[in-house]
Amino acid sequence: MTAGVVEVLLLGLAAGLLVGLMGVGGGIIVVPLLVHVLGFAQHLAQGTSLFLLLPPIGLGALREYWKTGDVDLPAGIACAAGALAGGYGGSLVALWLPARHLKALFGIFLVAAAILLLRQVLARPDATGDPEPGGESGS
Amino acid sequence: MTVRISPRLVVVFLAACVVGAFGGLFGVGGGILFVPLLVLGFGFGQHRAQGTTLVALVPPTGLLAFVNYARAGQVDWRVGLLLMPGVFLGGIAGARLALRLAPRPMRVLFAALVFLAGLFEVYASWLR
Repeated sequence: MTAGVVEVLLLGLAAGLLVGLMGVGGGIIVVPLLVHVLGFAQHLAQGTSLFLLLPPIGLGALREYWKTGDVDLPAGIACAAGALAGGYGGSLVALWLPARHLKALFGIFLVAAAILLLRQVLARPDATGDPEPGGESGS
Repeated sequence: MTVRISPRLVVVFLAACVVGAFGGLFGVGGGILFVPLLVLGFGFGQHRAQGTTLVALVPPTGLLAFVNYARAGQVDWRVGLLLMPGVFLGGIAGARLALRLAPRPMRVLFAALVFLAGLFEVYASWLR
């Protein structure tokens, strides 16, 4: 596996754009990129993605959201604690499981979530919907 | 600030445990699952859900999962290190872009990403 330095740096930049834009962790973007652009095997891609996520690489993006007040700190901390506990169990299962069917189910789950998210905005075309960035005070 | 442990927070924590298990299972940080969780389950606005999810990504929540992969020799250290600066800088640019977007297009864009990611998982697992 000898991916070019520039190639990998640019991949990181592209993944980072999506991290900040969508507020997601990067794994969902980095794993497919590693597998399909750099030709990684699935488990190696997942392990490398988890390695990448160890330092707070989303901190710069978080700072931007923080400036506009679009952060619920207690809820975020609760999510972090849950992810820590759940991630341990999930990774143990992942390493002995042939994840093919589970991954497909995960995909179906994501598609369903996307449809629910879309339906919510499309169902009320005239409503204001979500508050503007920075427009929501503490919950 | 004082952080009161409200029932809602406990529910968020329990839901995040389940989400975290998925994260470990698929090597994702869980962000793609946290945003829909907060929006659909807890009524967050799209931008607030995204900003809050980024909080969950500051501590190394994948550490325990990572240790398991590292023990199994399933980490490419060089590529991982090379990806870090780009993701950090790209993240700032992406966040600035997101905060210029109105809530509706932001939601549609996010849903599109989740939809494509989902289709991709199905395709990569079953159809290839």
